[in-house]
Amino acid sequence: MTDVTVTAASDIEVDREALDASIAEFAGKNADYYAAAFHKIHESSGLMPQTFNLAAALLGPIWAAMRGVWGFFWGFLLLEMIAWVQIGRGAWGDLGADAFERAERQRERAAGFLDRAEQARQAGEDPARFETLAANLQKAADNSQAAADAAQAEALTILLFGLGLLLIFKLAQGVWSNVVYEKQYSAWRIEPDKTEAGVKSRNLLLGIALVLTIAPLTVYKFTVGESPEILDSFPAEKDHYVATASWLEARIDAAATGGAGAFDSIVAGVRSVLDALTIALIGTPWPVVMAVICVVAWRAAGPRVAIFTAASLAYVAFLGYWEISMETVALVGAAVIICVVIGIPCGIWFGKSKRAYSFAEPVLDLMQTLPAFVYLIPIIAFFGTGNPPGILATIIFGMPPVIRLTALGMRGVPDNIKEAATAFGATRWQLLKDVEVPLALPSIMTGVNQTILMCLSMVVIISLIGGGGLGKVILEALQYAAKGPGLLGGIAILLCAMVIDRIVQGGFRQK
Amino acid sequence: MSDPAVKLSGVWKVFGPRADEAMAAIKAEGLTKPEVLERFGCVVGVQDASFEVPRGEIFCIMGLSGSGKSTLVRHVNRLIEPTAGTIELLGNDVSAMSQSELRQVRAQTIGMVFQHMALMPHRSVRDNVAYPLEIRKVTKSKRWAISDHALALVDLVGYEDRLPRELSGGMQQRVGIARALASDPAILLMDEPFSALDPLIRMQLQDQFKALVAQLQKTTLFITHDLDEAIRIGHRIAIMKDGVIVQIGTAEEIVTNPADDYVRDFVQGISKLKLVKAHTIMEPIEGFNGALEGAPRADEGADLDQLIDLSVGTDIPVVITAEGREIGVVTKARLLRGIQGGKE
Repeated sequence: MTDVTVTAASDIEVDREALDASIAEFAGKNADYYAAAFHKIHESSGLMPQTFNLAAALLGPIWAAMRGVWGFFWGFLLLEMIAWVQIGRGAWGDLGADAFERAERQRERAAGFLDRAEQARQAGEDPARFETLAANLQKAADNSQAAADAAQAEALTILLFGLGLLLIFKLAQGVWSNVVYEKQYSAWRIEPDKTEAGVKSRNLLLGIALVLTIAPLTVYKFTVGESPEILDSFPAEKDHYVATASWLEARIDAAATGGAGAFDSIVAGVRSVLDALTIALIGTPWPVVMAVICVVAWRAAGPRVAIFTAASLAYVAFLGYWEISMETVALVGAAVIICVVIGIPCGIWFGKSKRAYSFAEPVLDLMQTLPAFVYLIPIIAFFGTGNPPGILATIIFGMPPVIRLTALGMRGVPDNIKEAATAFGATRWQLLKDVEVPLALPSIMTGVNQTILMCLSMVVIISLIGGGGLGKVILEALQYAAKGPGLLGGIAILLCAMVIDRIVQGGFRQK
Repeated sequence: MSDPAVKLSGVWKVFGPRADEAMAAIKAEGLTKPEVLERFGCVVGVQDASFEVPRGEIFCIMGLSGSGKSTLVRHVNRLIEPTAGTIELLGNDVSAMSQSELRQVRAQTIGMVFQHMALMPHRSVRDNVAYPLEIRKVTKSKRWAISDHALALVDLVGYEDRLPRELSGGMQQRVGIARALASDPAILLMDEPFSALDPLIRMQLQDQFKALVAQLQKTTLFITHDLDEAIRIGHRIAIMKDGVIVQIGTAEEIVTNPADDYVRDFVQGISKLKLVKAHTIMEPIEGFNGALEGAPRADEGADLDQLIDLSVGTDIPVVITAEGREIGVVTKARLLRGIQGGKE
């Protein structure tokens, strides 16, 4: 232990020298000024320390760039530009230009009518009609001229407003800059390698270049009435779009024809799962199915859920949605079964192999974030329309949670338990079967539940590509704006979802 | 039966992606640890460890955290592969074994106990204990019988059907010990088994464990960071520092004759009363020229505690005997110095 003399907190003195040396190392140029400013900030206990950085006020964003305070740079570059645009509009913006032009035009036309009135008089006709027209036009021209004058007069106000804004922003920068710079100094003390410090000419040049490219163009575009078209819209080439789109279309068509066999067998596989479920749910007499569902609800989640289930089934049945609801359940069930059968092994693999997971993660992200409408199109191209393609679309959306949560659960298995099993001679298969999967099971179950809910939420969307079930009812109601049928069908979907969710959650909780 | 139970010779472990290169460089150039870290980005976990443990011995490996003791012991069942060196168990070279042979050895010859118990939370106590047998595909009736027996050994009758989380820390670790004993292994590896327990429970378990192992005649490698525990349990102690075995010896040898300052610092606070024996502090009887009439007598194996009891009632030194022969004397001065740890 080193010897430490204990000093009362009130007697501890600030070691200015060490601090100043550190600040000098950070600030580089003008170290003395920043040491004094930071000192003031450190001494201050008020809301806003009273320091004023003249360089920051005058140079503005350039100062921030030079010192590498980039957040400050962008913020005040934007604010100063607002002020400069106002100043520009006021100073050379030609505010009444369009009104003035109109006045000119009207005056010309009035003069034209006066000429016609003169000609008519010479020809011995009645010039009164032309004279009235000319007088009206002259009046309109006067109005336009007045508007133009008013706008011109307003220019001064705008100019003053812009100057005021600029002054406020400059003051703000002067007052605030040292505070922000002190924060950067504190950050620099923690991570000297990753924080900008001192004055760097590279930063200064970058800052000037940014200001020069951004500010003049923007101010020009906002203050000049007629800016060149190149500044208004990006010179996009329509041909590129057409060519790319048709190229893609050809590729997709070729792939669809080329892989027709593979795609058809996938559809056949999905259809067989769906058919099995459909036979079980619709082929079986409805009293049997209803009774089985209620009993399952009772066993899995208790009497309250069973009563709720019975009530929901009654609603569905009495409104004639029975068969179509069971079709929905079969669709969701088939999607969930396929998700689980593929997803859990994938999750186990991704949980064990970091490399595999790093490849899979962007794909999973894509599957979840891509709007369903986008992949409905290729699905139609490859798999056609109807229930099986609908199930495939559902799988794309529904599979990520079970994969992710299985992988998460696998990674969460404590290493020491795995090590113990290995130390007692377990093979990899025994380790997986006896330790990893049982310990990951709660997470896997959460994943399955999430997947079920995600699949349910796809029910309506897949009706767009010919999927049946309750989604079709909603879609039809939507097409004819049929409020009643739409609402009844919506409630039926809601009840189906709630019943499935309650039963599944209850079942998992028991384990 | 002449082969030692565990024999390590020249075991090195270098961690890092370029471990083999680093190992070659160490062999060729004799690099130090910081040099290895700088040149290859590799950490030397164990450095040239060699020792033999005869059958039935409790061999303690003592060191602070990060000294490589857990790493070292994991080489014995190849949970960690050595970078260099050989490991023999009962005369068989472990490092040359195929995966299935290795699994066989892990399941039958080695039992391991872990610091954090590492019980499976979803299995009952009995099924946890039976797991090594389950791996070996022992029938359920047989493994239940065996695990009930193992639980009886650690005094946990009546808890067979509980889940591990329902048991206290000390009881959980007893389950861990029962699991290690269940397959009746010749060798036990104990990785800081009692470190996470509170002192009173720890002491109870130490005594219980010592008695159990003495009865079952298990060769034990016992890792600890607590020298008191090592002295209490171990026949011999190896002291590790930064991956190197600094000293191997009995508790008395280490306490009376520490190999370097590091070990000396360690043993300073240890009570010598039960450790230091008469033959270490006695002076030869030949050179002694004082009155020895009516002197109390003690065997050379008597510890300081006993010698104090003998010499408290008299001013005459204690005469030390070996097989009935008088071989030395312990004066009061020597006794007091002995309590201090042999200071001259």
